[in-house]
Amino acid sequence: MGKLIKDAHSVWNTLNGIFLVFKPAGIHYLGTLNTLNLNLQRDFNKLEVRPPMKYVSIEGPTNKEMRVVVRDSYADNPLVVGPRFREKNFRMVTVNNLDIDTSGVLVVAINYGTRLRYVFKEFRPTVLYKVKGILGQMRRNNFMDGAIVEKSTWKHIRREHIDRVCASMQASHQKMMFQLSGLDIQSQEAYELAVKGPIRPNDPNIPLLYSIKCINFTPPEFTLEIVCINTSSEYLKSVTAEIGIKLHSTAHCNYLHCSQYGLFHVKDSLLSKHWNLSNILNNMNMCQNLISKHSSILSEKQPNLAMQIAT
Amino acid sequence: MFNVVRNLATNVNKRNAKEYLKKSKPKFSKNVRLKTMPIFKYPVSKGDCRVYVWGLQEHGALGTIKKVSFGEEGVAFIGTPHRLSFAEYHKILDITCGYGFTVYAVQSKDNKILYGSGINSDSQLGYHPLDEKLKIPIIKEPRPIYIPLKEKTTKVLGLAAGRAHLLILTDEGLFTLGNNGYGQCGRPIIGNENYVKSKVVHCIPNVEGAKITAVTAGQDHSILLTENGEVYTFGWGADGQTGLAHYHNQYKPELVKGDLVGQKIVKVSCTADCVLALSDNGKVFAWGNSEYGQIPTCKDNQQVNVATELKIYEKLGHIVDIAAGGSFCMVLNSSGIVYVWGFGILGLGPEAQRVTEPTSIPSILFGTNISDPNTSVAKIFCGISHLGALTADGQLYMWGRNKFGALGLGHRKDQFFPLKVSVGAKIKKVACGVDHTVSICKPFI
Repeated sequence: MGKLIKDAHSVWNTLNGIFLVFKPAGIHYLGTLNTLNLNLQRDFNKLEVRPPMKYVSIEGPTNKEMRVVVRDSYADNPLVVGPRFREKNFRMVTVNNLDIDTSGVLVVAINYGTRLRYVFKEFRPTVLYKVKGILGQMRRNNFMDGAIVEKSTWKHIRREHIDRVCASMQASHQKMMFQLSGLDIQSQEAYELAVKGPIRPNDPNIPLLYSIKCINFTPPEFTLEIVCINTSSEYLKSVTAEIGIKLHSTAHCNYLHCSQYGLFHVKDSLLSKHWNLSNILNNMNMCQNLISKHSSILSEKQPNLAMQIAT
Repeated sequence: MFNVVRNLATNVNKRNAKEYLKKSKPKFSKNVRLKTMPIFKYPVSKGDCRVYVWGLQEHGALGTIKKVSFGEEGVAFIGTPHRLSFAEYHKILDITCGYGFTVYAVQSKDNKILYGSGINSDSQLGYHPLDEKLKIPIIKEPRPIYIPLKEKTTKVLGLAAGRAHLLILTDEGLFTLGNNGYGQCGRPIIGNENYVKSKVVHCIPNVEGAKITAVTAGQDHSILLTENGEVYTFGWGADGQTGLAHYHNQYKPELVKGDLVGQKIVKVSCTADCVLALSDNGKVFAWGNSEYGQIPTCKDNQQVNVATELKIYEKLGHIVDIAAGGSFCMVLNSSGIVYVWGFGILGLGPEAQRVTEPTSIPSILFGTNISDPNTSVAKIFCGISHLGALTADGQLYMWGRNKFGALGLGHRKDQFFPLKVSVGAKIKKVACGVDHTVSICKPFI
């Protein structure tokens, strides 16, 4: 796209929508947005712009014949007024506000795409997280940068123990799902809703886990795959610590990775070396195709959850 | 429990730290840290057996007198699964629930291989000298049931309990206790027999030379399964539940008539008066009461007294588990789908009161979804009016009539579709009584 169109005005008109970037851990999402902004500004200023406006001046002494001079306007000269595209021109927001400790897919909406943010906030898609934990140490904020509160043994823990605890936790959350749906559990409506599949909680602030699985266990480390809704990174860290306590030991979290946010998978996201205009436009195109394919799901507001978690 | 240990350990640690500090710097005890952090070792469960109980507590079948809540009528019940302390001191091998009593088979070196608690009005829990002091025949906590065993190494192979009788299958044969009003104990019926504080224990060493492999009890009848896969019944036969082609009471075990000929039966299920039998090739046979449409093949006859094959099961595939309740039947096929039919709360919503054809309960209600497609039901259980299903990873789902919190959901409202019971362990076996439930579990760690 970048090869064919070199006109900044046309490119600017196409720059509306959402795209996916990979946010590394340890960087705030606002910092990511700032970098994106700078990169976009840099690339836009390299594009061809319209020729500078002509400035007509009539010069010379007034008692003689005056000269008409036509020259480039200084109001269009970058050396006078600065670069044509500036940071504040790009209106950018994130759809999922990833915490500073979390890495993974960050959905960024730009210009007119920012209104999609509210669509997604209303829709509340399920999120797939990969969470790594370490057994044997309990830390103050349940994350690796906190002070150690307590140490304990972990050699007695086997893979099947962690699987049992996860299965029990998952089933308990599914039970909670019915209680949080806001319906009388004895009614026919509740039954019909339950038969259709997972339900999203009525309250957007209550976290709920739909699936929790241990996908790797190399003691003292373990990796969990969590499909959830309405969760914060603090909640996921506390889940890791809770699993440690249920295993008769202690644990803290050392890695949080958002693999999937609704339709958007981390494998489609842009690495920081690819944060340039042509890649962003291509990615925006891909996201638009995904959204139009699933527009029926996004437009309906229903209590039943359409799980878009790919296998 | 380990929370307590943790607190204790923390306190001890603090105290030790303080004592150490008193000697050197008593004033600045808060600012000094320990150089090396202690590494705590939390205990791991010793046995791999736990027993959780819930339901009506008033009749003592739950075997515990602590942690009860009271209903509006002042009736004591336990609404959520409660860990039984009795099971911490004994290794429980098997459990069964009768109508208001529970019996535990225990691994033991002496003759005390059976314990029981609950209603003992017909001496279904045997006689014990301590019972003389009781004003009403209710045993609040498990106590030994003595049966006349020859050897000390005898093991319990199976247990079954009916309304007021108990069947104990051991290496030495079948022992029966309790009410014999209809011949359900396998001994001649004596008119006006006094069952209170009765010491009678009847022994049936074998049935026509064949070894007994499993026992099942209905309300007032008993069913024996032999090593050849044959089914013998005795007891109350007014609804045809003995399947002997007549409606009389009978005390001698006799082979069930009808379609069972030539079939090798592997499991029999019964709680009240409708009996289901499962053969090794996955076919299901039924006899007994069909008032609520439990036997769909015999629509005109409500009291089927011969075993009838339920031919509609060919479309459900190979059946692997069966459960017959008071007014409904439930089967599980090899692909893990639960089918129910009959009358009452079946798990198909509040509007489905009567179902004549076997209808599947959506597997999504047992925790199967896109992110977890492999979860399936492995075993099914039912009481008179409440039903349960156990998934392969040991989660218990229950639904049905919630008499005195028998579903273990923490309240007393009826549940119209399967809902998980929160038990902090992997469940291995569930025994459902009329208004209480007992389960054998394995701790997570």
